[in-house]
Amino acid sequence: MALEAEVWSDIKPIPLDDGPDPLAPIAYDAEYSEAMGYFRAISQRDERSERALKLTERIVEYNPAHYTIWHYRQQILFSLNKNLNEELDFVKEQIESNPKNYQLWHHRQVLVEKLMDASCELPFINEILNDDAKNYHAWTYRQWIIRTFNLWENELDFVNKLLDKDVRNNSAWNQRYFTLFFNPTKPTEEFLTQEIEYVIEKIKMAPNNISPWNYIKGIIAKSNKDIGILEELCKEIEKQDIISPHAIGCLVDIYESRARKGSATDKEEGIRICTLLAEKHDAIRKKYWEYRKVILTSL
Amino acid sequence: MPTEKEFVRDKHISYLKRGLTLLPKQYASNDTNRMTLAFFCLSGLDLLGALESEIPEERRKTWIDWIYAQQILPDERNPEINEKICGFRGSPFSGLPFDPNGSRESRLPFDAANLAMTYTALTSLLILGDDLSRVNRSSIINSLKYLQKDDGSFTQTYQGMESDMRFLYCAVVISYILNDFSGINIEKAIDYIKNSQSYDFGIGQGPGEESHGGSTYCAISSLYMLNKLDEGLLSKEKTLFWLISRQESGFQGRANKPPDTCYSFWIGASLKILDKLELINYEQNHNFLMQTQAKFGGFAKLIDNYPDVMHTYLGIAGLSLMNEPRFLELDPAINISKKAKENLLNNCAFHKQK
Repeated sequence: MALEAEVWSDIKPIPLDDGPDPLAPIAYDAEYSEAMGYFRAISQRDERSERALKLTERIVEYNPAHYTIWHYRQQILFSLNKNLNEELDFVKEQIESNPKNYQLWHHRQVLVEKLMDASCELPFINEILNDDAKNYHAWTYRQWIIRTFNLWENELDFVNKLLDKDVRNNSAWNQRYFTLFFNPTKPTEEFLTQEIEYVIEKIKMAPNNISPWNYIKGIIAKSNKDIGILEELCKEIEKQDIISPHAIGCLVDIYESRARKGSATDKEEGIRICTLLAEKHDAIRKKYWEYRKVILTSL
Repeated sequence: MPTEKEFVRDKHISYLKRGLTLLPKQYASNDTNRMTLAFFCLSGLDLLGALESEIPEERRKTWIDWIYAQQILPDERNPEINEKICGFRGSPFSGLPFDPNGSRESRLPFDAANLAMTYTALTSLLILGDDLSRVNRSSIINSLKYLQKDDGSFTQTYQGMESDMRFLYCAVVISYILNDFSGINIEKAIDYIKNSQSYDFGIGQGPGEESHGGSTYCAISSLYMLNKLDEGLLSKEKTLFWLISRQESGFQGRANKPPDTCYSFWIGASLKILDKLELINYEQNHNFLMQTQAKFGGFAKLIDNYPDVMHTYLGIAGLSLMNEPRFLELDPAINISKKAKENLLNNCAFHKQK
């Protein structure tokens, strides 16, 4: 679809001047080239008009990642006092078809910052996460919304639901940590003890899932507890004849921490299970476990 | 066991050459990033040892001119007028006439340099054998001051886009190449990196965010260039464990995600900087990359996807890290061949002894 001739009759488009032998030139659609020609002409005089607004819409159809066009569009929207709620609807559609585009999420953030109203945001993000629960952009934006508008209250429930759906969703585990420790209200000692029990249950459900293992080690370090409290769990998994490199790897951490305090039996046991990991249970990381063995041996 | 696929060197060379001379319209969404696409193709050819044999010297010179034409230079009469926008654009989309000596007059309201483009312009110039003599160092370093946020991170342009670890890396590597760190508040940058380390000791794009292979690379490489690895990494051993744990066959970017070609570089280069790359399983990484390699040249993100220029380059860079035969050696921090880095150290006035 061509641009309406009568609206643009006073403007002489500026063609792209790419020199005699351009690097990485793109075979642009004719419509994109035409629209960019008009953009060059009117942006040089900083025209902020209805036709300029329509032009930016045309350009992002072909190139939703054009950050300069989004920046220009924002200036136009603000200058013309446009209804930014309508723009939120527009960018919602855009994000739905390009959920991993930095510029679109940023545009939404600029609008919400201006409106200082986040009432539509969590439901919208939920929709996006429903399609891809690990979308990094959506999580980045969600964290910004929660911090900026102090929306901590129901976040743990939300994370619980996501983990019930997929206990391997590492983004949800990360959000759990964010919800607990980036919240201005810090978790109590009692809460953290319960939290460790919650994670242990999740580990038992799927001992080969690395995410809760990383998370529980993080919680233990953060609450100044001893990693030794996981020994029982690791051994219980071992007894059930489930091979979990994460459980055995966790034992290496436990034995190493005791070997550092001088325990010779833990040192020996650590060396033994490093060999087991290297030779059998985590062979892809053979050289890494051999490296850990060298560290243990040197203690 | 099926026989492993061979590396189709000549087909990759053709694929990269096509990228330099004409990209299909699907790349329109990269119109602002053409400099980076050019860098991927140039550096790919360079790592394959094919740049000089495949591209005649005359053409390399015209490409050097094209890169310099994207430089925004300070206004001669009143440098303050455009000091925030100096550096390189990704392409000439803003509409100034082509000038191989850069645009000194640029005061267009919507024209601006971009940190990622300045970084890949500098590396592309080095790869093409240029001595950076037309680079306006002081204006680029000065512009960095306007792009760093209070939290220590950087944004890509003064127009106020998102700020995160990617652009912190760009600011650091630009300063490293230009041998001048005075545009960066280093203390704040280190704090940002420290604050972005997660409970699993990988590093996210910002504080509170999920550990990610790309941002972990940006952080580790920045710390290395700032000579602050020991101070900046809260636990080198635990970060090492996080990196090593990403190997599935190839490498994943986050826990419980599928392996993806580009992480052979992001994770591989991080380990190389920490001097621990030899702890990975080379064979499985190699075999994974042979599966994402397209029969007609190029690498895809995942097995059975179509190839693209970025994954092609990062696949080649990943193989180069493992010292495969017939590859040039890679400098993991700047992400150019050691040969191009030699050019920087030996031929550029910013590094030569006075």
